[in-house]
This record gives sequence, C-alpha cells and structure tokens, in this order.
Amino acid sequence: MSPLDNFRFSLRALADNKMRASLTMLGIIIGVAAVVIAVSVGQGASANITNSISQLGSNLLTVIPGNSRVGPGQAGAGAPQTLVPSDADAILERCAATVSNVCPQVRGSIIAKSGSKTWRTTLTGATPAFAAVNNYTLGRGRLLKENDETARSRVVCIGVTVAKNLFGGADAHCIGQEISINRVRFQVVGLLGSKGASAFGQDQDDVVVMPLSTAMNRVLNQRNVSFISVQCRAENKIALAQEQIISLLRHRHHLQPPFPLDDDFTIISQTQILGVIQTIGGVVTLLLAGIAAISLTVGGVGIMNIMLVSVTERTREIGIRKALGATESNIRWQFLIESVLLSLFGGIGGIAIGFGISILAGRLSGWPIAPSVMSAVLAVGVSASIGIFFGFWPAGKAARLHPIEALRRE
Amino acid sequence: MITDLPAERPNAPLLIELTDIYKIYKMGDEEVRALDGVSLQVRTGEFVAIMGPSGSGKSTLMHLLGCLDAPTRGSYRLNGQEIAKMEDKELAAVRNRFIGFVFQSYNLLPSFSALDNVELPMIYGGVRNRRKKAQIALERVGLSNRMDHKPTELSGGQQQRVAIARAIATEPSVLMGDEPTGNVATHQGEEIMQIFQELNDQGISVVLVTHEPDIARHARRLVQVQDGKILADQPISERILASEWLARPENAVSTGPLQL
Repeated sequence: MSPLDNFRFSLRALADNKMRASLTMLGIIIGVAAVVIAVSVGQGASANITNSISQLGSNLLTVIPGNSRVGPGQAGAGAPQTLVPSDADAILERCAATVSNVCPQVRGSIIAKSGSKTWRTTLTGATPAFAAVNNYTLGRGRLLKENDETARSRVVCIGVTVAKNLFGGADAHCIGQEISINRVRFQVVGLLGSKGASAFGQDQDDVVVMPLSTAMNRVLNQRNVSFISVQCRAENKIALAQEQIISLLRHRHHLQPPFPLDDDFTIISQTQILGVIQTIGGVVTLLLAGIAAISLTVGGVGIMNIMLVSVTERTREIGIRKALGATESNIRWQFLIESVLLSLFGGIGGIAIGFGISILAGRLSGWPIAPSVMSAVLAVGVSASIGIFFGFWPAGKAARLHPIEALRRE
Repeated sequence: MITDLPAERPNAPLLIELTDIYKIYKMGDEEVRALDGVSLQVRTGEFVAIMGPSGSGKSTLMHLLGCLDAPTRGSYRLNGQEIAKMEDKELAAVRNRFIGFVFQSYNLLPSFSALDNVELPMIYGGVRNRRKKAQIALERVGLSNRMDHKPTELSGGQQQRVAIARAIATEPSVLMGDEPTGNVATHQGEEIMQIFQELNDQGISVVLVTHEPDIARHARRLVQVQDGKILADQPISERILASEWLARPENAVSTGPLQL
C-alpha cells in the first residue's frame, strides 16, 4: 500500500470525528499560539526598549555620583554629593578628542503652579546641551541658551504633559506664560516636542527644564549635580572616553587607590544598559516561551489521550483491517499519521492565531512586534514531534492488537 | 445429487494441507485443547462445510485456516506455502492475497460506502484499477445499484453481500465463510448461499463454517468437528441448491397482498 493511502485513511478518520478532532487540536492550537505570541511579544518588547534607549541619545555615557560597587549609585535625594558642574566642563575640555558634548544635570521633584492649577512634576536643571544630548526636539518657542545659563535666567522649557495640565493644551499660547515653581516665578519660553513614554514607562513629556545655574541656585539650593550626561564623538570612542573620564575624575577628586573600590562616581554606558536589558528581555522571552511550551506539552498529552481512546473505540475496525491484510506497520502508520495530522493542523492553526494576536498586540501597543517566523517554524516542528512522540504508544497499541481478539470486541 | 467429490478430483492441486494441528489455550492451570491433532486436505475448487456444535473447535479451525491465528504446533500449508511459522507481515500478505473472509457479523467499516469497503483489501494489496474491480465485485453480488450506500443504509443480507464482494474482489485462492448466514433471515441466507454456490461453480474454492445442517448441505463436502477433532469427513449426498430453493413458489418473497 502506498503512504498516500494511509494518509487518506487518517484524514478520513479525523473527518469522521470532526468535533473530537478539533477539540483535541485546540490544546495544540493554544500551545503553539502561546509560544508564537510569547516569543513575538518578548522580542517586540526587547526591541522597543532597545529603541527607547537609543532614543535617549546616541553614544551616551552617564556619570553618576557614588560607587555602584559599594552601594547603589543613585541620582537623586540622598545620593552622594561628589559631582560638580566644573567636572562637566573639565570632561569636555580635557577629553575633547573623544567627547563632543556634556550636559551636567540636576533633578528635583517640584510643584509647578499656573493660576489655580498645580502640577507635581520633575524639574531638570541642565545646560543648553540638554536637548541635543537627550534627543529632545523643540515644539514651539525656543530652547534654553548659553546666556540663560550665565544670567541664571528664570526661564523654563516644558513638556507637553506639563503644558496640558497647567495651560489646558500644548498650544502656542503657553509660550510667554508664567508659572511658579517653589514660589519663584518663571517664564515659559519653549515647548518641547513630544517623546512619549520611555522604555521604563516614564512619561518623558512630564518635564520642566531650566538652566542648570538657575535650578541649583534659585530652586534646589544645591552645589552638586545629580549626574552628567556625556556624548561621545563616535561609538568606537566610547570605551576610550570612559577611561579618560575615569582617570580625569579620579585626579580631580583626589582619589586614592584601590580602584575601582574607592571611586566616588560611576559611569554607566548605554551599551551596558542595553546589554542588561537585552539579557533581561531574553530571559523573560525564554520564560514565557517555557510556560508556553508546557501548555504545548499538555496539548500533546491531550492528543495521546484521545488517540488511546480512539484505539480502544476502533478496536473492531483494526481487527477488520488486519483480517483484510493490513500489517502491523500499516496500522501503526495510520494512527501515527492521524496524531501527527492532529498536532500539525493544530500547529498551523496556532500559528495563524499567534500571528494574528501578535500583529494586533503590535498595533495596540505601538511596539515593533513582528510575528516571529523562527518561533513559528519551531512550534510546527515541535508540534509535529509531539504528534509522533505522543502518538507512538497508542499507534503501537493499535498495531499489536491480535486480529481475532480485536474482531471479538464489540 | 452428487457432483465432484474430492475423491473424484484427485488431480486438482492441493489448496489446504493441515497436518497434526494443535491449538492449546492455557486457562490458569488448565489446558484447553481447542484443536487436538487435526489433519485435513482441501483441493482447489472444493466447497467444504465445517460443522460442529459450539465449543467444538470449528471457529478456531476457521481462524487458523484464515490465517487470523497461528497453531500451537503442527503444519499448515496453503498453496504449498508453510503458514504456521510466518511472521505478522507475511501472514498479513497471505490474508490479503489468498484468503477472502466473510464473517457472521459482516464486519464492514461503518463510515465507508459499500464501494469503499470493497476497495479496502485491495488498498492494502496495492492493487491497480481497484475502483473498477470493486465495482465488478459488487455487480457480481447484485449490488450495482447500492455502491454508494453506507452499511447502515443496507439490510443485513445486502451488507453480507458487500462483505462477499470485498472477499472476492482480491481474487483469493479460497473464500472462507464463518457462519455467513448466522445474522440474516432464511430467505436472505439462501440468497447468500446462492452466491457462494455460483462462485464455487465458477471455480472459486469455498470453506464454510456453520452449525446449521441446512446450510452445510449447500456444500459438496462435510467435515464434522467435535472436541477439537475431526469426527467425520464425507461427501454430501443430498446437496441443497439455493437457486432451486429460491425458485420454489412457496419460498418466493411475497410481492402482492397476502392471499388468505
């Protein structure tokens, strides 16, 4: 007999039991769809975070106070106060070969008021390099200038979220308005272009930016900066820049070995962050896929269960076939093909649903989710293997039935 | 009516040759000898009825003859081939090529049409033109207008005729019937026996198992089995011809209103 004939027998047996076949497939459909969705969404989320980090500014190093090897390096209240604005000037001056721009920044939590409206937000005091280093664009008005810095001008640029909450809209009429921050009056000179949420879910439009000197002296009253953003000239200069900054700051801060134990600052590079995030993303994706794989296995056990029931139910049919000349291997193949078809059809259905949901999730979340073809190929391979693996025992059971005993069964 | 007694056709080739066949089942500590040293020869073209009460071993004998079961010991040669020691694969091929089996309970696949059922053994045999051959076989049993019907849409007699068509479609060496009339009414049983007789007249060897003397008398030779042994082996002297029985007016199926 030709394999095609056995294939037809199997198809026919499935068609005779459509309801049961589709319910059995459902286990595999859900499993495969889960694998495809988990991998696609996992990869999409990773890509999204990677994107967002690249958006923070390219070739960026961040110098934060404190030693991350000793305690957590923090940029905020309670953090070690070791970085000063002149550190930033020195970096730009002494590392000019590798560094194109620096932006010392302070951060603080403030309440901004305009008329009767108040809004709790984050204040960033930064030099005019802020927009360039952090990839902010100008929406309306103007950005901060060098003479705002030297004059400690009471001017701010605000993000779209702040504009909406204080002025009811992100329109041109925000420009020239006054807001008060910690009882100091400021003039809004610029509206930043919208950036949306960051990789970590922060609203990047919920910002108020003012000159560093203004923030340090008029609002926060501190002598230290929260961190220094350093933009390198090129990607291949990042490592060198990092080294140069380390030795420069050790010298400036009069630090004594052992290093890096006694450093009072930490340099975080984007590649480090990216590496960590991609590792985390990979682990999360793997975890999701692992859970999905478990559901795939459960689906496979479902197939085995149904195939065993089917063999018992069709004992007589097996007896008839054997009496008419079917060999053990004919019967084994018929049932094996049947279980492989079940899982394969389930796999294809699962891929269709998985792709559909992945694409939909991509549309809804705005993440760059592309249905993972690799996961689809893998899922189909796995589901076919499941069919073989979990079909083998029932098929063998069917094949070994004695024709007389099989025929005697009602 | 005596025709073609086995003794009278000693020149026909030997089809079946059982020598000292034993089939022993173990039931706990007890040994049950379903077949206790049976020897039997059947030549090509014969029509043999095997008769015996239930438990006599006739069904076991039939299963051995049909290659559905293997003897505990002894030799079984079919068409000169030793069967008793064959592997599953070879046995399946022998069943497929040389034996056409008709069961008491028809054993048709319920979801297959008559035509598909008849085709089934030819699929396992890898026969070419099987659709055509299946159609011819169904025509031979008078079911050319029922080919696409499922078994549930056919009467018992019709289902058994489908089973006969399935058995002869592969052009086997021997047609075996295991109580083929056991599940049908007398008239339909007679129709089935008519087909068996016609096929035998056309040269097909037939071996029939039955416990009904009236059915056994359709054969040409009667082998009686009891307690796993052959009790008697004799030609049938007053053979019933199904065609004659069916032609008798008192056996006709009433077509008009009942005459009272």
